[in-house]
Amino acid sequence: MNESKNIDYLTCLFKSLPAQSNGSLSQDTLPEDQKLWLKRLRAQAIDKAGQLKWPTVKDEEWRFTDISPLTRLPFKPAKAGHVPGLSETQPLFIEETVNRLVFIDGFFAPELSSIADENQLIIGNLDTLATRHAHTVSTHLGQYVQSQQNLFTALNTAFLHDGAVVVVPQNTVVDQPVHLLFIATQAETTHYPRSLIVGEANSQMTVVEDYVALQADNGAYITNSVAEFKLAANAQIQHIRLQRENVNAFHLANCAVSLDYASRYQAVNVAMGAKISRFNLDISFKEEAAECVIDGLALITDEQLADTHTCIDHLKPNCTSNQQHKCIADGKAHAVFNGKIIVRPNAQKTNSSQSSRNLLLSNEAQIDTKPQLEIFADDVKCAHGATVGQLDKEEVFYLKSRGLSELAARNLLTYAFGAEILNSIPVASLKHTLEQTVLNQTRSC
Amino acid sequence: MSAVLQNLVNQPYKHGFVTEIESEIAPKGLNEDTIRLISAKKNEPEWLLDFRLKAYQKWLSMSEPNWQNVHYQKIDFQAISYYAAPKPKKKLASMDEVDPELLRTFEKLGVPMHERAALAGVAVDVVFDSVSVATTYKEKLAEVGIIFCSISEAVQKHPELVRQYLGTVVPVGDNFFAALNSAVFTDGSFCYIPRGVKCPMDLSTYFRINTEGSGQFERTLVIAEEGASVSYLEGCTAPQFDTNQLHAAVVELIALDNADIKYSTVQNWYAGDENGVGGIYNFVTKRGLAKGVNSRISWTQVETGSAITWKYPSCILRGDNSVGEFYSVALTNNLQQADTGTKMIHLGKNTRSTIISKGISAGKSNSSYRGLVRITPNARNARNFSQCDSMLVGDQCGAHTFPYIQVHNNSAKVEHEASTSKIGEDQLFYFAQRGIDSEEAVSMIVNGFCKEVFQQLPMEFAVEATKLLSFKLEGSVG
Repeated sequence: MNESKNIDYLTCLFKSLPAQSNGSLSQDTLPEDQKLWLKRLRAQAIDKAGQLKWPTVKDEEWRFTDISPLTRLPFKPAKAGHVPGLSETQPLFIEETVNRLVFIDGFFAPELSSIADENQLIIGNLDTLATRHAHTVSTHLGQYVQSQQNLFTALNTAFLHDGAVVVVPQNTVVDQPVHLLFIATQAETTHYPRSLIVGEANSQMTVVEDYVALQADNGAYITNSVAEFKLAANAQIQHIRLQRENVNAFHLANCAVSLDYASRYQAVNVAMGAKISRFNLDISFKEEAAECVIDGLALITDEQLADTHTCIDHLKPNCTSNQQHKCIADGKAHAVFNGKIIVRPNAQKTNSSQSSRNLLLSNEAQIDTKPQLEIFADDVKCAHGATVGQLDKEEVFYLKSRGLSELAARNLLTYAFGAEILNSIPVASLKHTLEQTVLNQTRSC
Repeated sequence: MSAVLQNLVNQPYKHGFVTEIESEIAPKGLNEDTIRLISAKKNEPEWLLDFRLKAYQKWLSMSEPNWQNVHYQKIDFQAISYYAAPKPKKKLASMDEVDPELLRTFEKLGVPMHERAALAGVAVDVVFDSVSVATTYKEKLAEVGIIFCSISEAVQKHPELVRQYLGTVVPVGDNFFAALNSAVFTDGSFCYIPRGVKCPMDLSTYFRINTEGSGQFERTLVIAEEGASVSYLEGCTAPQFDTNQLHAAVVELIALDNADIKYSTVQNWYAGDENGVGGIYNFVTKRGLAKGVNSRISWTQVETGSAITWKYPSCILRGDNSVGEFYSVALTNNLQQADTGTKMIHLGKNTRSTIISKGISAGKSNSSYRGLVRITPNARNARNFSQCDSMLVGDQCGAHTFPYIQVHNNSAKVEHEASTSKIGEDQLFYFAQRGIDSEEAVSMIVNGFCKEVFQQLPMEFAVEATKLLSFKLEGSVG
């Protein structure tokens, strides 16, 4: 790991900052006082990013994921460019949705987006809403994500210029899922997608956060995304996160979730793309009686690396968390999972379970998993489990005895392993698409 | 609930007393001269001095680790005396010649040596402040060709064996404390089981720390030749002192083809008082190398003492079909801290490992399980099962689990599970219904919780361990 190179990379990044800050937000579309808070937020993040070091494999949090290849390429921040036509992007849309926000390389594309429920909820891009709903946006933006120790969230905030904002007002139920589509088109750039999702008291919604590359084989790029979720009392959010970047991409993502009294957060995270991907999910139980259910699936092959770090922090009593993470690694792929559960001293009656199940399809694939428990309260129920293995010979044999070929049997079993996670996706068409993708991927092996 | 537990927790250390024996103590501090002094005092050959000096050089270039989940004041390595030996006396031929004061100490500890040896058929190699003073049953063992003696004696009498194996499992620069130990170890046990010999009795040593302010650096080397098998026990108690005492031991086990080594530990060193003052720092490097095919290494430990327990008895499974096992009970109370677990490194084909770890935290203590299971690309069909359970007694203690699982080939099967629980009110109620008071109920529940591990201990140790847990937790539930 070349230390000086990393410093070079960061210096390079900072040099590009002034150019960025002339982006869409500072085109004086906002009254001075209203964009001040945003400027301050960015300024703080710039300071913070300047103090933080580039993580290396010597850092415990990055032990298995070497991101030094990132520093070898001169990635400039993406600029607003050509917006692809509807014909190219249409296949990516989800048929059930009426609300869709599309971002091309981090820039809002109104011509591809569709906002139907503007009367019912606050939805739109940050640039617009920071003016129209300055108070709501400023109270939430940047409040949940941890940027003290995290270089990438700090960088994302430092380069913040636009993003998706969805606020569901009190007692509102949004029937159709909201689709946030982040499309990458430019090679050799870094883009900084940002999302802020707020569910106010007693609200309900489903949101699909979707990262995708338009061409499967365009060059390398970096996605550094941050998503913040705030659930007020009794709010319910179903969150589906798809990472389908191209195979040359680097995907670094942070997602922070803040849970109030009796709120419920249900997530399905699917990672299939990117050369190196890292997803941090931080969930904080800020009030009692909240619940979260998190399912994850990483399906990777060739020389891909997928790293998932989750931290579920039980700060208050009587909360429930349930996590299941699965990795399917083929080729020379390397899957990493680190699931931390913290039960703080007062968080009595916590009920937490976690399982990490991993399937190795080839002899060169590798898995590093670390389900970690830190418990400081006595009246709790915590359990975790991890398994690593290959397809069961007996099961393959059983299917063969029923007339399936070896390949068909193996594919069916692999598919079934992954489908357990996909089954919890509440959007039918999306579930179907993903199931097809998994089937195709398993078929090729 | 908490009242009974509190009582349990407040159980004073029963083995706290200092035996007045004249000690010969080296001046405090560590430098090359100290090492030369130790080496000269022990009349060591040149190669061993080189070994020590090499380790010392390594140690100088290393820094203290900081990733652990235990906290302690920085140790001043220059404030420790690295050599303390009871005044040399003429070699003893029988138990009667042993210093009566020393014998009384063991009596107080509940280890009537000769009695115990006779009753249980155990040969006890007594290590008292770094120098072995008595060895029993040696002749009987010698009949079948087993060498069981202190390591300094082995250096004199069997230098070729010591030289061949010392530092092969735990290299001098392995880690900070192992390097320190390699530089300054004063004594320890040596055990060699020749080819095809099944050791006719359980071997055991008692480690004791006496003489305030002297760190103890034990070195243990156990070698089982082809087809040999041995069960080795180690039990520890120490008198009550206020200054923290560093104990940085190194244990190396080597099992050749078809050999079998079982290493059991009951550790009950002084844990400090309820305010966390005093107590032993138990920073030990224990590692077994299952070198030959079909070899087996099994670690069993019951850790109840020490202010800080920080150790990972590990198995390197190099031979094909070799087996590694780790059974552990770690009980922490008051302000005790434990960061313990194991490493299972699978290198050979068809290697298997089992990890059963039970952590019990009471009072304000913290206990961590930290484990590594690594399956390397060549370890085809490797198999691991891990289970680490924690029990929390009271709401101010903590239990942590850090299992690392690294699998680099697809024929491996690795399973890990962990759970955390407490002693339920309903469980205590059920016992009360049957006329069993809460104290006894807690003891039964805890012993039930640890049963899988106790089953692995040799009989007399199992009895001792059960008692130990009971009185360590006495009066902590109400």
